[in-house]
Amino acid sequence: MVAPTRRILYALILLTIAGIGVWLVISQLEPPPTMTERAFPYGEIRIGVDASFPPFAVDDGTTVYGIDIDLGNAIGAYYGVPVRFINIGYDALYDVLTTDKADIVISALLINPLRTQEVRYTRHYFDNGLVLVSPNEQPFTSMAALSGQRLSIEFGSPADAEARYWLRRITAFNLLPYELPNYALDAVRMGDADAALVDATTYFLYQREQPDWQVRYHHVTNSFYAIATRIDRLDTWQLVEDALWIFAADGTLEKILRKWL
Amino acid sequence: MNRRQQRTYIILRTIYFIARYWQWSYRLLILYLLLSLIAPPSPRTIMDTPQIVETTKPHLCVHTRVIDEVFEFNIQRTFQMVREMGASTIVEFFPWAYFENSPSNVDWSRADMIIRHAQTQGLTVIARMGFVPEWARPAEAGEFTTLNELPEDSYDEFANFVAAFAARYAGTVEHLIIWNEPNLALEWGYHPPDPAAYTELLKVVYPVVKQANPDVMILAGALAPTLEPVDSPHGMNDLFYLEAMYQAGASAYFDALAVHTYGLTFPADDDPAPDKLNFRRVELLHELILRYDSADKPVYITESGWNDHPRWTKAVRPSQRIQYTLDALDWVANEWSWAKTMCLWAFRYPRYTYSYPDNFMLVGVGFERTPIYVALQAYARDIIPEGNLWLPPPAVSSTR
Repeated sequence: MVAPTRRILYALILLTIAGIGVWLVISQLEPPPTMTERAFPYGEIRIGVDASFPPFAVDDGTTVYGIDIDLGNAIGAYYGVPVRFINIGYDALYDVLTTDKADIVISALLINPLRTQEVRYTRHYFDNGLVLVSPNEQPFTSMAALSGQRLSIEFGSPADAEARYWLRRITAFNLLPYELPNYALDAVRMGDADAALVDATTYFLYQREQPDWQVRYHHVTNSFYAIATRIDRLDTWQLVEDALWIFAADGTLEKILRKWL
Repeated sequence: MNRRQQRTYIILRTIYFIARYWQWSYRLLILYLLLSLIAPPSPRTIMDTPQIVETTKPHLCVHTRVIDEVFEFNIQRTFQMVREMGASTIVEFFPWAYFENSPSNVDWSRADMIIRHAQTQGLTVIARMGFVPEWARPAEAGEFTTLNELPEDSYDEFANFVAAFAARYAGTVEHLIIWNEPNLALEWGYHPPDPAAYTELLKVVYPVVKQANPDVMILAGALAPTLEPVDSPHGMNDLFYLEAMYQAGASAYFDALAVHTYGLTFPADDDPAPDKLNFRRVELLHELILRYDSADKPVYITESGWNDHPRWTKAVRPSQRIQYTLDALDWVANEWSWAKTMCLWAFRYPRYTYSYPDNFMLVGVGFERTPIYVALQAYARDIIPEGNLWLPPPAVSSTR
């Protein structure tokens, strides 16, 4: 028969051995990956981009630059993860996500409801919808107010289609077609037209060239550009989404857009 | 009242109201039926009477994308406008994945409808074959494959589908393009482009399809014009790829070469060079045909054109797009006897991308004519355009 004191001693020894064993096993286990590691499992953010579309992304042969590039770099800097841009054609943008060649796509990508079974879009970072541009002295805030006025557009563009749609709805206005959207804006600036209908990017770029031109713009349609992730990469989407909200709140997004537009 | 009493009360009140106002119920029903009689009917598509394409430029062709169009009347309108423009041939995509959802269970109804409408408008159809159904591209757990993933084990099934298509539309569809731009990774299941593997595909497809329809013409290649460096993961130079196809023994397994050629920022007559992407790059591909194949082997340009987006780095102005396109059509007719068609990408998409690809279209999503459409119509049908398409630039212009 073992004395009680011995029993306690044996129990303590066994417990100590068991404790050491457990400690050794735990110390061998790797800590669970952080959300950032789960979101970007390759240790970098691989960003698909079609760098042929200024001012969003351009490849000049030595470097890539533009709004989408700055946005990608800002997301990388925010999470402390290096960024790598994969320059591909427009047709391949969704496939690089599907085949896990890229973690996200930032490429002036319009939110497309038909793609939402395979990708998840973030909140939008830019609205490239059509804008109605008119002088400060006689501003037009909606297409419905254009009856009897002169509207300049780029012939054959989505603005042309939108204008013709409105021509069927309201009392006629005079449609002035030009070869280039900048000519449509020139027409307003020179007094040849009362308003112009162009996409938002065209307007902002033009306004940069003509900073003294006093005009107002109002969105007629919306075309939201967003970042896409693969549908099953929820962590990736969440972090990019969070970053965009923070950039919108702290002025980073505005700063990037103002730099290029 | 307790809860049970409340419930009983509500039921009794409901019965009372129905009994009290039942005559209103049937009056409302009659009103509903009357209103439904005057409501506009859902759109229907009535087949046109057979038409003939009036054109002086029989090599003018367009690549349509009606397969993804939801409404039949939009498919009909597309083909009507193609005919009205003066193009006699279309290239249209017939994705295997859309038709054979499960093995040997093929639903031809959509293809029948598209081809019937094309025929009615007097259009010749060149069918582009591709896109693999999920059952023919087995993937391991967690692995994602694209519609362009064609495992070698599925070459036979793909050949059987193409053969079935060739047999079904014998006498109607005489040209089949086997695959699209296999020299791009994205078009080859995101695997490195492999000319030998593509040649193997041709070797499997060709005899099976010819047995099903001996008159059908097999078009191969449809290579993307690209200058990708040798070790690029994205693609292979089209000249290298075609040469490698020939070295792998492709010559006997296609009747004509399908070619994609885009002018980008260069005019149509810009001289070709191996390190340059321009319209006349086709001549370099044709030189390879002359070196490795029969001099009689024809070329079908199944994608071509210029883009006139105001900001895309590879685009030109709308007026240049018109001029370059018309010059290119003249060039094909006058200089390249071996080229049978020049198909412009793309007639219309079912929806806008709101990006530069939209400026490849010849008509808008709502069937609005673009300047290039009007110009092509005048060119192909000898129509004198009604005045200028657009106004001259304002007196002091910011853009030159």
